[in-house]
Amino acid sequence: MKFLLMLLWGLSASALANTGVVAQIQAKLATEARAADASFQGFSAQRGEAFYRARQGDWSCATCHSDQPASGGRHAVTHKAILPLAPSSNPERFTDPYKVEKWFKRNCNDVLNRACTAREKGDFIAYLLTVRS
Amino acid sequence: MKRVFIAGMVWAFASSVCAGDHRYGPYPKRYMQECASCHVAYPPELMTAVGWRQVMQQLGKHYGTDASLDAGPQAEISAFLERQASRREKHAPTEASARLSRSSWFVREHGPTLPPKMSFARCEACHTGAEQMDYSERGLRLPAGYLRRGD
Repeated sequence: MKFLLMLLWGLSASALANTGVVAQIQAKLATEARAADASFQGFSAQRGEAFYRARQGDWSCATCHSDQPASGGRHAVTHKAILPLAPSSNPERFTDPYKVEKWFKRNCNDVLNRACTAREKGDFIAYLLTVRS
Repeated sequence: MKRVFIAGMVWAFASSVCAGDHRYGPYPKRYMQECASCHVAYPPELMTAVGWRQVMQQLGKHYGTDASLDAGPQAEISAFLERQASRREKHAPTEASARLSRSSWFVREHGPTLPPKMSFARCEACHTGAEQMDYSERGLRLPAGYLRRGD
């Protein structure tokens, strides 16, 4: 019993810690979005989903991460399996700011041929947080 | 019976010698983290230092995708790759993009092309132990339509 309680405590503590990191990432992006556009009203999961599915040139986010981000994807060039992007399926996602920035930098460049704006990044994360597995 | 056993032992020994070791690693955590997300971690021992330098200088345009790194990890991984690199001419790059799959050794072992929908980037499709750095012949599963060395 005591063990189970400890386990539950551990699990909820790590879940809270993860929620904390993604909230910090979103707060930083919101500050940047507001600085870029004074009329910024907050992130939108709906806009994020449209962004996720929009094909810009050859690829969209969904090309590699699949139409269902709660499922795994496949790399467009190497065909290597990619773990799910939605935190509901893969709690590791958006828990490491270094990784988040690294992949936004690379993948925005691949899909859009430019850097993503803070609003696009925030919308994208907002959408993924709403996806249920 | 005893003779069969001895013959078996000789065969097992001979085949392991002929096949070479074909096992690599383990590699530093940083290399695995940064270079084994989109493809398996390629053994640094299979290309020369000149080749790895060329690859690492072009990470922003890495065979069709952006694989750029921050300066710290970039320097750390470059140093590791060059330290572990092959010193044999057969592993030298043959073009500016320094594709490992175009070295004379690679082409001799694998042939110049693959069946449709296959990629030389995805070692684990045939080398079933590649994720564990095991490229021994025992784990090899060749796809239908694959011709090696112009067979």
